[in-house]
Amino acid sequence: MSKYDLPKKFDHKDTDILRQFITETGKIIPARVTGISASNQRKVTKSIKIARFLALLPYTDMHK
Amino acid sequence: MNKYEAVIILNPNLSSKVDEFKKDFEKLLSDNSFKIIKTEDVGRRQLAYSITNHNKGHYILFNLEGDPAKLLEIETKIKYNESIIRHLFLVVKEHTIEDSSLLIESRNKKPEISSENEAPKKEVKIETPKKEVKEVKEEKSDDSKEGTE
Repeated sequence: MSKYDLPKKFDHKDTDILRQFITETGKIIPARVTGISASNQRKVTKSIKIARFLALLPYTDMHK
Repeated sequence: MNKYEAVIILNPNLSSKVDEFKKDFEKLLSDNSFKIIKTEDVGRRQLAYSITNHNKGHYILFNLEGDPAKLLEIETKIKYNESIIRHLFLVVKEHTIEDSSLLIESRNKKPEISSENEAPKKEVKIETPKKEVKEVKEEKSDDSKEGTE
């Protein structure tokens, strides 16, 4: 139904799942575009931000 | 008592000393009455951006249980450990029993592990040239004697 793979529990280590919710430039895609529930969007956002801190996901494509 | 999930990124140049670090770290945890429920050695991984001029990092994950007040002491000690590039302690409601996706990913990439296994062979190789050097030195001393004659 949904165009995204949504796990039961979001984890900052599941980079493949989180990568669906960032753009090529590394930005988090807004809820009005993803269309997922507000509750899920909050969880996605939180885990992306943790993954960025641990260098699992980029903040931007301008690194280096 | 809180349940914690810890991620520690080590300096990739110290990858061979990971076991030593693990022992030290486990000692530090047990000294502060922390219980280690699970450890995952993910191994070397490409970083999404460079941290203090490192492009790779050695990831280790821990599932812990302990006292929040003691955690501060651990963190102050970690701060001055130069082999740790980055660390994060997260409070979790429940620990995940399954292997993390990072560990599964690293298992699928086996070629890197085989290259690490070659490291001890290199050490053996280093020993042989040393002997050669000694022999060469002896020859040289002979030459110098001849020169003086």
